[in-house]
Amino acid sequence: MKLTSFIKDRLYVFILAIIVFIIYLLLFMAFHSPVELIVAVVILHFVFFLLSLSIDYFRKRSFYHQILSHVLKLDKSYLVLETIDVPNFYEGELFVQILYETNKSMCENVSMYQNQMNDFKEYIEMWIHEVKIPLSSLNLMVHNHPSNYDRKVVYQLKRMEDSIEQVLYYVRAENATKDYFIKKVSLDKIITEVALKNKDDFLENKMDFIVENTKVSVLTDSKWMIFILNQIINNSIKYKKEESSYLKIQASDKIDCTILTIYDNGIGIPLSDLPKVFLKSFTGVNGRCKRKSTGMGLFIAKSMCDKLGHKITIESMEGEFTKVSITFYKNTHFDVVR
Amino acid sequence: MKKILIIEDDKAMVNELCDLLKGANYFPLVLKDYNNPLEEIFSVKPDLILLDINIPYMNGQLVLQNLRKQSNVPVIMVTSKNTEIDEVLAISCGADDYITKPYQANILLLRIAAVLRRVNPNQEFYSYKGIIVNMQKGVIQSKNQEYSLTKNEMIILNYLLIHQNRIVTRDELMTVLWNNNEFINDNALTVNISRLRSKLMLAGCPNAIETKKKMGYILL
Repeated sequence: MKLTSFIKDRLYVFILAIIVFIIYLLLFMAFHSPVELIVAVVILHFVFFLLSLSIDYFRKRSFYHQILSHVLKLDKSYLVLETIDVPNFYEGELFVQILYETNKSMCENVSMYQNQMNDFKEYIEMWIHEVKIPLSSLNLMVHNHPSNYDRKVVYQLKRMEDSIEQVLYYVRAENATKDYFIKKVSLDKIITEVALKNKDDFLENKMDFIVENTKVSVLTDSKWMIFILNQIINNSIKYKKEESSYLKIQASDKIDCTILTIYDNGIGIPLSDLPKVFLKSFTGVNGRCKRKSTGMGLFIAKSMCDKLGHKITIESMEGEFTKVSITFYKNTHFDVVR
Repeated sequence: MKKILIIEDDKAMVNELCDLLKGANYFPLVLKDYNNPLEEIFSVKPDLILLDINIPYMNGQLVLQNLRKQSNVPVIMVTSKNTEIDEVLAISCGADDYITKPYQANILLLRIAAVLRRVNPNQEFYSYKGIIVNMQKGVIQSKNQEYSLTKNEMIILNYLLIHQNRIVTRDELMTVLWNNNEFINDNALTVNISRLRSKLMLAGCPNAIETKKKMGYILL
């Protein structure tokens, strides 16, 4: 609260005070009052006037100063009401009450949306579980009744399954609720599962799959990790080179972390696109030229890694390679508890 | 023939599962009475149970918990719920394995075979037309000679032996190999098969593995 602004705001009081002062003067002159009396009254008049203004100023200043500085400092500024002292003047009380009421209504509004979101999320999850049943029936039907279209049908089924999974994990990763469960899992097991999922794609595309030194355990949620790896591998298959393409997964165990790298000798990512690959809905040159891409896979993978506390980075050289690294940090506390 | 009890309420799914299991030389049974699942389980005495979590009247995990109080029959949880928490919960209730829908048929069969093998430990020796196949040492032995097989060749031979006299598709062999962390490509499989053939021939079994065009291989 600046003094100049406060005075500017009270300009009418000054004008009134001067008018009253002039009226006083005229009155005193009309009644031929002694000069001493005039001076005394004028001084008293201005002292009282300034005193009342400055008391008003200082009372309000401490209150507004506190609330303003807290609002600027808090990262959740809507909580400011909980941090300030109760004001000792009427306007301040009104102000606090209004803030309280608007806050309350906003909280109700937000929680309404939160509930709606949760309902929606629950419905999506339920729907996905529901749709997976006919999908697995179809998988079995194709297996039980072989025909000439097997490979094509299986491929389309897998595309459907991948898209459905993406929705499921988008809902899970974007929601505030904690849907993961971190425990010690072997990377080997995760990789085998992802490999089996993509076996047909690798064989169909004549892409070699090489795995080295992955007999290590890391702290993660295996289901989430399978999804993340699947996104990365899907991209590698999608953006492979025509000839002698391969994908190589390696793990290296450091003192405080384990780094998993997924390397492919595919078409790579242009330098200008590289910083943006983890952004939502970013498709880039590759996504536009090759096959239609949603730009969601890596975005979801990144936000899941953030939640799980893993670091995910990407390096690439156009026309040469793409290398994704995931860093799993070790937790000594976890070992002690175990 | 091993009896497998299917506890699942989706009709289409049950039909396909039955066909799949029959095709793989199992004897499938389907739970009829969801009110008293335990009684029915004890009366049919299955060798393995495929249990869905979402079944009428009762929750699959509850059925499993109650079952475990009285029996050690192997159980594979089959479900579309795919969170880590669901899996941990299922395993802690006493499930032997956990597989999520939608799954590939070959992988389900592999998991079933793996669980059954864990319960009745695998015989380490197979004999085939006068040859002894020693899994542990990774060798095949004829009367007076020993030939060592690579890991891949052993996996293939083992699988063919288990499914003797039935056509085994290349896809099945690939699935088993990849499941054992041998991520080989099509050419490598062909090479492995021909090496295995020549080793079997040296051991005195020529033409043991026959190629069925566009279908797969069969161990005669």
